Amino acid sequence: MQQSWLLIVASFCFGLLIAVTNAALSPKIRQNEINKRNRMVTILLPEAKDFILLDEPVEIKSLQGRIEKVEIYKAMSMAGECVGWSFEATGSGFADKIKLVIALDKNFESIAGINVLASNETPGFGDQIKYDYYRGQFKGAPAGELKLVTIGERGKIDSEIVAISGATISSEAVVEIVSNSVTQIKEQMRKKGIIGNDKQ
Amino acid sequence: MTNSNVKTARYWQTLLAGLWRENPTLRLLLGMCPTLAVTAAVKPALTMGCCVIFVLICSNIIVSLMRNLLKPHLRILMFTLTIAAFVTIADLLLKAFQPEMSETLGPYVPLIIVNCIIICRAEACASKNGLVISIIDAVGMGVGFTLTLCVLASIRELLATGAIFEIQILTLAKDGGWFVQWAAMGMPVGAFLTLGLMLGLVNIVTRKKS
Amino acid sequence: MDTLNIVLMGFISVVLINNLVFTKFLGTCPYLGVSGRIDMAFGMGMAVTFVVTLSGTLTWMIDNWILMKLGLEVTRYVCFIVVIAGAVQLVEMYLRKFFPLLYESFGIFLPLITTNCVILGLCLFLSVWMVDNLLDAAVRSFGAGIGFTMAICIMAGIRENLNLADVPDCLKGAPITLITAGLLAMAFMGFAGMIR
Repeated sequence: MQQSWLLIVASFCFGLLIAVTNAALSPKIRQNEINKRNRMVTILLPEAKDFILLDEPVEIKSLQGRIEKVEIYKAMSMAGECVGWSFEATGSGFADKIKLVIALDKNFESIAGINVLASNETPGFGDQIKYDYYRGQFKGAPAGELKLVTIGERGKIDSEIVAISGATISSEAVVEIVSNSVTQIKEQMRKKGIIGNDKQ
Repeated sequence: MTNSNVKTARYWQTLLAGLWRENPTLRLLLGMCPTLAVTAAVKPALTMGCCVIFVLICSNIIVSLMRNLLKPHLRILMFTLTIAAFVTIADLLLKAFQPEMSETLGPYVPLIIVNCIIICRAEACASKNGLVISIIDAVGMGVGFTLTLCVLASIRELLATGAIFEIQILTLAKDGGWFVQWAAMGMPVGAFLTLGLMLGLVNIVTRKKS
Repeated sequence: MDTLNIVLMGFISVVLINNLVFTKFLGTCPYLGVSGRIDMAFGMGMAVTFVVTLSGTLTWMIDNWILMKLGLEVTRYVCFIVVIAGAVQLVEMYLRKFFPLLYESFGIFLPLITTNCVILGLCLFLSVWMVDNLLDAAVRSFGAGIGFTMAICIMAGIRENLNLADVPDCLKGAPITLITAGLLAMAFMGFAGMIR
């Protein structure tokens, strides 16, 4: 046990090194996370300049039945007006989890668009959920229950989303995630009075 | 005069060993896990290679400085502790300066801790040699590893997406070109097969030489 | 009943669908080296299962109940590897005292398990998968060990037969093992999308 002094000294030095590096870099890391989220949402809500986090996260029931807390961001324009809302939603896709960021218009009546933050779907098939021709169908769709169809017109904006051929499960997963989270969050926000039928 | 010549020759030999003769992935068969996992595209492969070089150099330096104080029982634990500390630092640096790569590589960056290459080099080289040789060995092994990763990644990325380092080289069929993507290359199948065939190729080359 | 469902799904997901060897590339080093004979492969698999279940559960507890509460996530990797090294030592001492024959048969494998990617990989994946209760974590750790054992035994069986086949010289050894692993990975892809 005489050599244990080396272990203790080394642990102390390394611990110090890690602590110093962490202290120096963690503001930058936090900023990176904020930037990423803002960048994703600004694509969907171009007038948004600032994002305010709602004080209380909204609790929804995920597709697997678990209770999840969702953080909602209010997007503000440069003039200080609300231009929309955004939040992240996760669900299981074909291969792994799919993480989406969903943006809605200021009345929570229609979807401003979706973006895929993280997914591990089959390249060339399920991966196409990231492409514009699939995601574009969500832009302007009503904020409520959405349905997946296998045949239909992609250009028509309504509550029917046309699946990607060869990737039905991935397409279905995205539609379900959006449907489930948007309907529940809309109901909860109405209950809390944040949005209402008489929108300010 | 002759003494420094011998030294320089030895340095060169150590450096070049890591690149080909004792290439960690292709000849010593170490560090297979990250080789298969990150080589779906060239950018993550390059990032992983740089992280490994960083951790290798740092840990070889520390182990070489400590080599006279180490006793047999605690050796492995000390190596592991050193490597874990530097991998944590590398991970923090990656999260701060390359966040997208950090997300793509995910849990494979901390897996550098159990990467056989680093522990084996600490054991085989750094704990027995002076500071300069250890650093050169680390650079040689690290660069050899990175080059292998990049070659593997180029093959896989080219066949899977027609691009290398996200620069499109082959025009894809869906964009009007002739190349139909080999989706399998981007998946685990492609990884195993490409690495296996590459090792076979290396065996042919080395057997012809000898 | 709901918990049982979640637990069962978690188990199947780690053993078949997200098998750590074929989809996450963990445990490839021992995979190439050890899988020569089925009995040795099974022995190694069992040792790994034992250690991984213990470490997975311990590291999950430390991560969720201590590190996150105190905001010390940055020391995660160091803590994990120390716990794993400690768990391997514990298992070694325990086996040497109470099951000396088993200890003999494990031989060199036991200390080697510390650098096995599967164990650290599983501990890290438990946080990536956002596993949020202890039972789920324990079952998934156990499943990971079982999945690894299954993969390594299949490989050993195939390798035993490969010895009799006419493999070209340049592909003998590691290359043909990797190619076979690739084909197995392709086979396991068929399990993807099994549970939603």
